[in-house]
Formats: sequence, C-alpha cells, structure tokens
Amino acid sequence: MTHLFAADLVKAEPLWRAIEQPMALKALVAIVGVALIAWELWWFLGRHGGGVVARESEAGVQEITITVDGGYAPSRIRVKAGQPMRLAFHRIDPSGCVAQVIFPDFHKTLDLPLDATTSLELPPTEAGTYPFHCGMNMVRGVLEVE
Amino acid sequence: MAPLQRPAPDDTSPMSDPSASPSCCHSDGMAASADGMERELARELTQLRRKVSVAVVLTALVMLSSLPHMLGVHSLPFLPAWFTSPWTQLILTTPVLFWCGRGFFTGAASAFRQHGADMNTLVAAGTGIAWLTSLFSTVFPQLLIAEGLPADVYYETTAVILTMVLLGNLLEARARGQTSEAIRRLLQLQPPTARVMRDGHAVQIPVSQVVVGDLVQVRPGEKLPTDGVVREGSSWVEESMLTGEPTPVAKAAGDAVIGASMNRSGSFTFRVSRVGGDTVLAQIVELVRQAQSSRTRVQRVADQVVSWFAPVVIALAIAAFVIWFLVSGNPVLAMLFLVSVLVIACPCALGLATPTSIMVASGKGAENGLIFRSAEALETAGKLRTIVLDKTGTLTRGQPEVTQFERLSGGVVPADSLLALTAALESRSEHPLAEAIVAYATRQLNPGDLPAVAGFEAVAGRGVQGVIAGQQVLVGTPRWFPELGIDTAALQPLVERLEALACSVAAVVVDGRIEACFGVADPLKASSEAAVAALRRLGLQVVMLSGDARRTAEVVAAQVGIERVIAEVRPADKSSVIRKLQEQGEGLVAMVGDGINDAPALAQADVGIAMGTGTDVAIAASDITLISGNLAGVPAAIELSRHTMANIRQNLFFAFAYNVAGIPIAAGVLFPLTGWLLSPMIAGGAMAFSSVSVVSNALRLRNFRPTPLPVAAS
Repeated sequence: MTHLFAADLVKAEPLWRAIEQPMALKALVAIVGVALIAWELWWFLGRHGGGVVARESEAGVQEITITVDGGYAPSRIRVKAGQPMRLAFHRIDPSGCVAQVIFPDFHKTLDLPLDATTSLELPPTEAGTYPFHCGMNMVRGVLEVE
Repeated sequence: MAPLQRPAPDDTSPMSDPSASPSCCHSDGMAASADGMERELARELTQLRRKVSVAVVLTALVMLSSLPHMLGVHSLPFLPAWFTSPWTQLILTTPVLFWCGRGFFTGAASAFRQHGADMNTLVAAGTGIAWLTSLFSTVFPQLLIAEGLPADVYYETTAVILTMVLLGNLLEARARGQTSEAIRRLLQLQPPTARVMRDGHAVQIPVSQVVVGDLVQVRPGEKLPTDGVVREGSSWVEESMLTGEPTPVAKAAGDAVIGASMNRSGSFTFRVSRVGGDTVLAQIVELVRQAQSSRTRVQRVADQVVSWFAPVVIALAIAAFVIWFLVSGNPVLAMLFLVSVLVIACPCALGLATPTSIMVASGKGAENGLIFRSAEALETAGKLRTIVLDKTGTLTRGQPEVTQFERLSGGVVPADSLLALTAALESRSEHPLAEAIVAYATRQLNPGDLPAVAGFEAVAGRGVQGVIAGQQVLVGTPRWFPELGIDTAALQPLVERLEALACSVAAVVVDGRIEACFGVADPLKASSEAAVAALRRLGLQVVMLSGDARRTAEVVAAQVGIERVIAEVRPADKSSVIRKLQEQGEGLVAMVGDGINDAPALAQADVGIAMGTGTDVAIAASDITLISGNLAGVPAAIELSRHTMANIRQNLFFAFAYNVAGIPIAAGVLFPLTGWLLSPMIAGGAMAFSSVSVVSNALRLRNFRPTPLPVAAS
C-alpha cells in the first residue's frame, strides 16, 4: 500500500511529491511525535494537583477567590460538605466566552463583569462533584464537596 | 427526576438540594446585570467587527499577492514583483494573526497554563504552525530547495483561516445575543415609573421607589408598574405578555393585578402588594434564568465529549503529521494535514448544541406563559405518555357552588335551623365544598347569627362533626355514614340523581338522622374540553383524578372527553395514585394540579405541572408552571418540549457528524482512495460555518407557535 501511495504522490503536483528520507529521521519523527502526543494528553487531561481547599471564615462560610483568565484559577476547588460557601470570581479575561459562569446543578448563572469580582453564595451541599463552566461550555472547573 | 435537582417531597432540608438556595437576585439588580451583559456583548461585537474588517482587507491583499503562486505561474503582468514577494505577504499576514487574532493566542496561552485546551488552542496552533512554516521558507528558502521542495509559503492560508474563524465568531456572537432576547423583552415590560398617591396627591416616581402598601393610579393604555390588588375602579387588563392568555381579563375591586400587564379601557387605583424581586415578573425572569442554567441529560454526554475533545484532536493532528511524513517523507505536505485537522475540529458546535436550544426554548415558553423550572423538565415533557389531570381547579374553575339543597322525608329539623347548624359547622372547615355551603347558607340566613360549635373535628376525606346546642351534627360525604353505622338507604336515590348532574354531595346528619343533602357543582373551565382533545391528539393517555364520588367524576369526565377516571381519591392518596400509574408501566406520568394540596403528587410525577394563577408561589413544587389558569398551556408545553428536543437532537447530530466526518477527511483518510485533499482554508471555513449553523438552528425555535385550540364558548 505504502508503495502505491508514493507512486500516486509522485505523479501529483510538485508539492505532493514523495521524498526519500533517511530511516533515522523517520524514526526520530515517529518517536518525537508519539512522545509529544503522550505529553500533550498528560498535560491537558491528566490530574494536576489535588485542587485548592477553600479557607474558612469566622462565620463558618468557606471562601475562595477564583481568577478568570483563559481558565479558572484554581479550577479544582475542594470544600467541606454541609457548610455554606462563597465563591468570588475575579474576571480579567476580556473574552466574551467567560462573561458567564454556570453551575448547572445549582441552577445558577452568574454574570461576571470584566475587571471586577463577583461573588456567588451557595448553600450547604452534600458530598459530590459539581462541575461549573463558562457560558459556552469550553472553560470548566469543578467544585469537589467532601 | 435526577436526585440532585429534586429533593424528595417530604425532605425540605437545604442539604439535599443545592438549588434550594433563596433567590438572591433583585429585579433591579437583574435588569442592571442584564444591561451590563448587553453592553459587554455590544462591545464584543464592535471589537469583532473592527477586527473582521481589518482582517478581510489584509487577507484580500495577501490572496492577491499569492495569486501567481495559486495559478501556478511565475508572475502576472499587472502585479509588480515586490507585491508578490513572500516578504510582502509576511508583512500583510502578521497583523492579521497577531492583532486581529490576538485573542486566540492569549486565550490559548492562559488556558494552557490552566492545563486546558479549547477552541482557541486549536485555532492558535493551526494558524501559528502554518505561519511559522511560511516564515521558515521565507527566511531560508534555499534549505527547502536543496531538499527538492518548493519554497512555498502559506500566508494566505493562515490569513484566510483566521478571517473565517473571526467572521464565524462575529456571526455567532450576534446569534447568541438573540437567544436571550425573550428575557430581555420580559425585563423591558416593566414601565420605568409609577403614579403613586403621596400626601393626597398623585406623583410620578421611579418604580424602584414604590413600596408595598402604596396606592398606584393606572390610566387607560398604561402598563402596571408592579403587583397589587385593585381598590377602586374597574377595567380590562391584558396579561398576555405574562400569562399567554390571549383575552383581556376583567378587573374590579379586590382582584389581583400583575405588574407589566397592560391596562386597556378603564382607570383604577390599586394597592401595591409586591415590589422588586418579589413580583411575578421578577420571579418569572428568575425561574427562566434558573432553567437556562441547568442542563439536560443529553447535555451531560456532550459535556463529557467536549472536555476530551481538543486534546484528542491535537493528538490526532500530530499523528496525521507523523503518518504522512512516514508515508511521503514530505514535511510540508504533512504540515498541511496537521493544520487541516487542527482547524476543522469544532468543539464549540458540540458545546453550543444544547444550551442554545434550551435558552431559546425556555424564553419562548415564558412568552407563552409556560415556565419550565429546568432543562430536564423541558426534556421530559415531550416524552410523557400519561397525563393525570386533577379535576378541581384544573378542569373546573375550582369555585364550587351549591346548586341543590334537598330535605329528606325523615328529617325533623326546620330548614332554617338546619342551614344554621350546617353553616356553623362548615365555617370551621377549610374544604372548598364547605366554603360553597357556607356561602349558600349565609345567603339564606341573617348574617352573624351562627350558633356556637363544641368539639369540632375534621375527618380528612370524610367530613366534619361537632356538637351544637346539645345536638351531634355531622356534615360530609355519604360514603362516610355507613362507617359510622348510619343507614343511608333513603339517601341513595337522591345521591344518584345529584351525582348524575355532576354534583358532589354533602349530607347533614343530626343526632344520627340524615336530614338533608347539598348538591355542589363546580363549573368547567371554557378551555378544558379543547385542551383534553389536544392532549389526546398528541398521543397522550388522559386520566382524571378526583376526590369526588365515582358517578360525579364520570359525568364531568364525559363532559370534557376523558375516558379514564380515578375517583374517590383523598388528597393524601393522590401521590400514591401517581406512583401506582408509574409502576404499572404507563410510561412517564405528568400530574397537572393547582399546586397547593397537590404538591406531593406534583413532586411524585415525572413532570409536575402547576396551574398558577400568576400569583402563586406554589410554583416551587412543580417542574412546569402555567402562569395562566388555562389548561391549553399543557399541550403547548408538550409541543414546545418536543420541538426543542428535536432541535437539540439535530444540533447534536450535526455537531457530532460534522466532527466525526470532518476530522478524518482533514487528516487525509480519503486521499489514497480518491485523491481528495482538503485545503486547510476550506477546513477553517467549515469550522466557522459549523458553530454558526448550530446556533442558527437553535434560533429557529423562536418561530415556535403552539397549535391554536378551538375557542369554546364560555
């Protein structure tokens, strides 16, 4: 099959022509490619850090500030079950995509004005993971209640 | 429904229901925040428009500059050599990439730091790689030529992709603005000022300064600033924008009026009962926003896919590069496949597929007086198989009147005393029939001379008893008396006759003797028959649920065209009736009720539909609330749900199919078979088109109109 392709390619436009490459270079490209795929998947999909634990205020409210800039920093937030929490979103990213943050399990949408901090208060909640995301569902974070 | 979003009916602790937090938003605040978002959207649009204009001009120049190369000729007579030079193309393309497309790169970079990959990552990587390759062959052309490769540049590809993606963003942002149009329109319904009586004078003040208890004057043609109760005057008020009810409603002293409704002919004064976030309008807006923030079950699947999407596409793009390099040994060819894969993939289409449809549909629902509490309610309503209608208040007006008062031959108590005894006892009861009997009795008697009752007791689903002037008096359903050992043989023919007239029967027993009975009828609503017919046309099995005697219930059911009746159900048993229907495999079961004593049944049903009067906060127990008391809203809600789910399925199918088909084509899977090779420019265009078409398809839901019902004469 490989031979067939190559024959086709040679006949095609100059750009599509096949070029004989040394075996060592082919091997190198293959190895680097596979390594790059592995690293990229680990970087984007792997677990990074155990999430940030919200601090507790004197009134028993768990508080955390989340910076919105391309993503949510931190994007994994750990809170205790059965205690109210206050999430403060500080948005510095001008992209319209992150102008809203949605907590589907709480039926809450929060509008985030640019360069301002907007707080969302949530009631005490049972243990579980509650994802949140931007208006278009591309930027995401998770609230881990334990 | 999902346990997360729905507490068990008997469990009201906030622990179990994350959505049970108190409403935090005030309508003014909401309006302000909606304004803010609108301003921001407008700013985003202006900026995008500017960027698109610059990008279009520069891209046109770059394409002209690369024209000789595209045509495969060395030069064209009308283009000077300096203009077709790669260096000119570099100068023209760089601002497109790094000024117009700056957002993609900064977005990708900050997402990268957060271990995130999204649309920006794919676009930035695709165009960045094409630009870097071109830069390399511009600066070091001899290196490529030495390898036997043409020192081609792909600046026009880079510029075209970016321009098309930007154009796609612009169209999408405009369309997204339209999805929340319904809420915006609702918020604009409220007039900015109110004419309020202060110190005996009518003064015009901003609505935000109106307080509960204020007297507000309304003139013909004016909108009502807030909710209240009419004190003086009368008029016809059009509530269609809130309730979907097409005909104006008569209002006179004592009637409740809703803010944002339109006064037609008369003038009146009303006392303010609710302001700000407590008004019906503010609650509707809040409920619609809540529904728009929730997700459907299908969305959860799409969400899973989206979170894996971009990293997987990047992996596929690298794999395409490696494979094509191994096959052809041609790095430039491999690079073009890499770029095509990166820019054709469109996670946005997947992410947008459901939420945009839900946004448009829940807004459309609100326009028709149908408030969906969550996306799941919108999803489930269309799959219903059985619909249970509560009789009182749903099919009927819920205001029963005594139409018959019959003495029994064995009775010894004079009619007047009997009415007084009955009224005295029934005035302590909260049953709707009791109210009708008291109203009837007091009309016949002098007011204020009811005797005192001792030992009052209400027996749920049976009746009431007490001792009046030494006599043991019972008022209740004839079914109760055999249980107490009272002979009802003489009563039977009378009961049968009254029940055949669709009356509920309450009998009066004094000292163990049946004295008389009342026939109480509850007139049907004008819309009931047509609505039941519409539900059957939609393929639903319609069941009537009633606490009345079987014969009475069957007569009412026959009048509206319902064949299946579950009668003689006590209020507390309604929810177990629903559970039984669910267990019998009748499909998904909806319960329609007036919300207060039906709450457990509404919660038990797969979809609870509350008939609000527009003022009730019993909305809380239901999945769907019909702001008007019109049953026609039920088939309309089901139709809207079916349209919405069809729309979501189209969107998801398109988005999945597009990506599943597009990515392999871009990766060159078809090349060995057909010689087809997707130009990266076409890949970029397809991507921009795909998310725009998803949003546009969702916007089609704006054209939804419920099938009109034939209007029955009332």
